[in-house]
Amino acid sequence: MVDDAASEEEVLKSIIGQPTGKSKVVVERGPVQHFADAVLSASPIYHDPGAAKQAGFDNIPAPPTWPFAMEFSGTFAEMQPADKPTGNPLATVLGPLMAKGGLILHGEEEFLYHRPVLVGDVLIGDGVISDVYQKDSKGRTMTFICSETKWTEESTGEPVVTARMNLIHRS
Amino acid sequence: MGEKKLSYEDVQVGDEAPVISHTLTRTDLVRYAGASGDFNPMHHDEVAAQKAGQPSVFGHGMFSMGLLGTALTDYVGIGNVTRYQVRFARQTWPDEVLSSKIVVVAKREEDGKKLVDMTVTLSNGDGEDKLVGEATAALP
Repeated sequence: MVDDAASEEEVLKSIIGQPTGKSKVVVERGPVQHFADAVLSASPIYHDPGAAKQAGFDNIPAPPTWPFAMEFSGTFAEMQPADKPTGNPLATVLGPLMAKGGLILHGEEEFLYHRPVLVGDVLIGDGVISDVYQKDSKGRTMTFICSETKWTEESTGEPVVTARMNLIHRS
Repeated sequence: MGEKKLSYEDVQVGDEAPVISHTLTRTDLVRYAGASGDFNPMHHDEVAAQKAGQPSVFGHGMFSMGLLGTALTDYVGIGNVTRYQVRFARQTWPDEVLSSKIVVVAKREEDGKKLVDMTVTLSNGDGEDKLVGEATAALP
């Protein structure tokens, strides 16, 4: 079964560097406010434009983990970039793994902030698979898939936040 | 651009942020599902979760990271975090008391920025870690 193992490794490595897609997100006040409530913040800065201004922001800022959720409320079909890649590199790897069973876990999440995300921002996200590797743990194969999405301001191209995630498939 | 809560001069290595403690409810998970768009039934549908062999619904990892993020911004001020990273160590369960622990581990000046490095942890009442990670803030 050496050949099978080799080809599985090839499939895994083949997606490194592949794009996970581009998206355009509009950051709106209502969803940011609900998200802040959902992460149990009591700060008036997420609710009140006056409080946000007083704290030095040009508009209401979003909580730190907002970038993970903002595509849900802020992507609109007619605005999406035309050069979306075809196929999903995650599915290329996870499809065959999940066909053999197992569980997908969110292993790690990291955000690097250049500036706070603000209500009114229009952001472009560009994602890539940054690494794929396997480890054996307690007789199970753990497949790590790491991705990185860079969010930039649409109007200036300036970086805003980079999100790094690693998903684990546990056999 | 950031909320002025804490100044670099006032922070010492070893300082700890005020602790947030919160008893996790199913309502928290439903609210987070609605706000984030993560409708994986394992986080809100008790019947589906038990059918999948789980004792009950369990928390979104990103809810935990969001809660710990609130403890972080309550301490360093909104808009001042420059890096926030966690590893999801264990699942969270309704009725668990989740508590934050944020400890200053280093102070450094880099490119004219006054940076404070912290370890960040979210754990339950038995001291089991749910999230383990690191954060950095740029302070005035």
